[in-house]
Amino acid sequence: MEGVGFTKALYAMIYREVIRYRRAYSRMLGSVLNPIIWLIFFGIGWASLFRDNIFRQIFLGLDYITFLAPGIVMMAIFSASFLGGVSMLWDREFGFLKEILVAPSSRSASLIGKSIGIAFTALVQGILILMVTLPLTNNVNLYGILPAIIVSYIVSLGFTSLGMAIASRMNSMEGFHLIVSVVMMPIIFLSGAFYPINGLPDWMTILIYGNPLTYGVDLVRYLLTGVYAVDPMLSLIGTILFTTVFTALSAYLFEKTTI
Amino acid sequence: MGRKKVIEVLNLTKKFGDFTAVDNVRFDVYEGEIFGFLGPNGAGKTTTINMLITLLKPTSGEAYVAGYNVVKEPYRVRRMIGVVFQDPTIDRYLTGYENMYIHGLIYGLPREKIRNRIDELLKFVDLYEFRDKPVKTYSGGMIRRLEIARSLLHIPKILFLDEPTLGLDPQTRAKIWEYIERLRYEHNVTIFMTTHYMDEAEKLCDRIAIIDHGRIIALDTPENLIKMVGDEVVYVRIDGQPIDIDKLRGINSYIKDVEIRSNQIIFSVSNSSKAIPTILEHLVGLGVDVQEVKYHKPDMGDVFLKLTGRDLRDDEGSWKDMVRTVLRRWR
Repeated sequence: MEGVGFTKALYAMIYREVIRYRRAYSRMLGSVLNPIIWLIFFGIGWASLFRDNIFRQIFLGLDYITFLAPGIVMMAIFSASFLGGVSMLWDREFGFLKEILVAPSSRSASLIGKSIGIAFTALVQGILILMVTLPLTNNVNLYGILPAIIVSYIVSLGFTSLGMAIASRMNSMEGFHLIVSVVMMPIIFLSGAFYPINGLPDWMTILIYGNPLTYGVDLVRYLLTGVYAVDPMLSLIGTILFTTVFTALSAYLFEKTTI
Repeated sequence: MGRKKVIEVLNLTKKFGDFTAVDNVRFDVYEGEIFGFLGPNGAGKTTTINMLITLLKPTSGEAYVAGYNVVKEPYRVRRMIGVVFQDPTIDRYLTGYENMYIHGLIYGLPREKIRNRIDELLKFVDLYEFRDKPVKTYSGGMIRRLEIARSLLHIPKILFLDEPTLGLDPQTRAKIWEYIERLRYEHNVTIFMTTHYMDEAEKLCDRIAIIDHGRIIALDTPENLIKMVGDEVVYVRIDGQPIDIDKLRGINSYIKDVEIRSNQIIFSVSNSSKAIPTILEHLVGLGVDVQEVKYHKPDMGDVFLKLTGRDLRDDEGSWKDMVRTVLRRWR
């Protein structure tokens, strides 16, 4: 017999994350503004240079802003969920982790609850950004929005778990910045969020196809705009697979965590 | 004694690499008592607690808490215990109420019951009017009180308190002591606490284990431990007035020994407050002009000094404590 009240522990951790998110206005604002700044200052800059119709074939037939928008949304969702997962380090630093570790409920329940909560807040951000982005884009498939949200949530769960898995192997805050530059930046740049992934050097292509975020970005772009680089079915399978593996990994590592 | 054991520790050892933090420790804690672990920082107190609360695996030996093996049945142990750690373990962004509510949920309590009990416990620690304020606005003492209240929410049989008053000011310490004393009567729990404050151990604990370098070097009631060091001593300064030592014997039954050294008479007594008045009366009767009277009552500090040859006070206020105190204020 392992622990008591799986659903209660699950609910407790979702409740906690949602309250914390609601209370941290500045965090919420910052996380929404940052991608919008990317979209406007980075996106509009390049979009003006790529204005001519001959460039459209590079971006799979889309104008650059419409191509970039799903990528920016996924970048935001990825950052929020991954950093949210890594924020388990703060729980360790400020002691709350011990409260969970010494409780009789299943640790997996607490972990999965936290992950559901963080992924939910990341999704809310993603939706906010999508709404700001939509007026700048052309011919977005509105019926694709709901499926895109569902896919985003699966991606988000996966990267929250990855963040937590990494955090449960770290004992201090020192490695945090290293993780941000060594893990986060490459995942974002090598996901096809900013540029199409066909016709790149071989070594880069390998990294891109090994990057879990690539499939999420490509799938969401397909659902919103109809263009894709990887077969959408394959992307869906890849996304679900990565999320399952990361969740299992984080649960396994967390079960073994000591203080 | 026939009292029920709620904690049973058998040759518990924990090594970190070559360093032995807890060395073959063996003791029992009985139902309803306040049992204290007293020792300097780094003596192995927290390591012992962490093993008993299932957060650390022993290198060897066994421990049973509430009848369950801490290694084999951690989830059962966890359900029976409440823990207040040395450093805060609350979420600062949540209110006192929300922190307790989450605790109730992860301990699997029914929601209705959680709500009623939170109010009752917040009243017990005088935090009811702060229930809806975020914990980051609380003082160190309030946080400690909230954690005590929270640890009682699921009605534990045994409460573990790791340095419950570390870094708190004297008034707050006194207040926390009061709660701890009321706890066992009003909430019917056995308390296992660690401290490096001698006064705290002496005042609160029914039995004290003195721990040093990972070993228990003495275990008894505070009274017996203090008796072990020796008698109370009364010093009477007479500035070289001639006096016959034989006339000082047998003044009353509390006096065990008398000696005269340079300008003072030294009485070893079993109870200085009872002995002093008759001693003075007797000396005045002999025509002695008493200049000054002092007495010394041995305390846990003397016990520690006698057992280890070191002063426990030297170990207080290490840099780690200082950092911790500063951090706590800053948080």
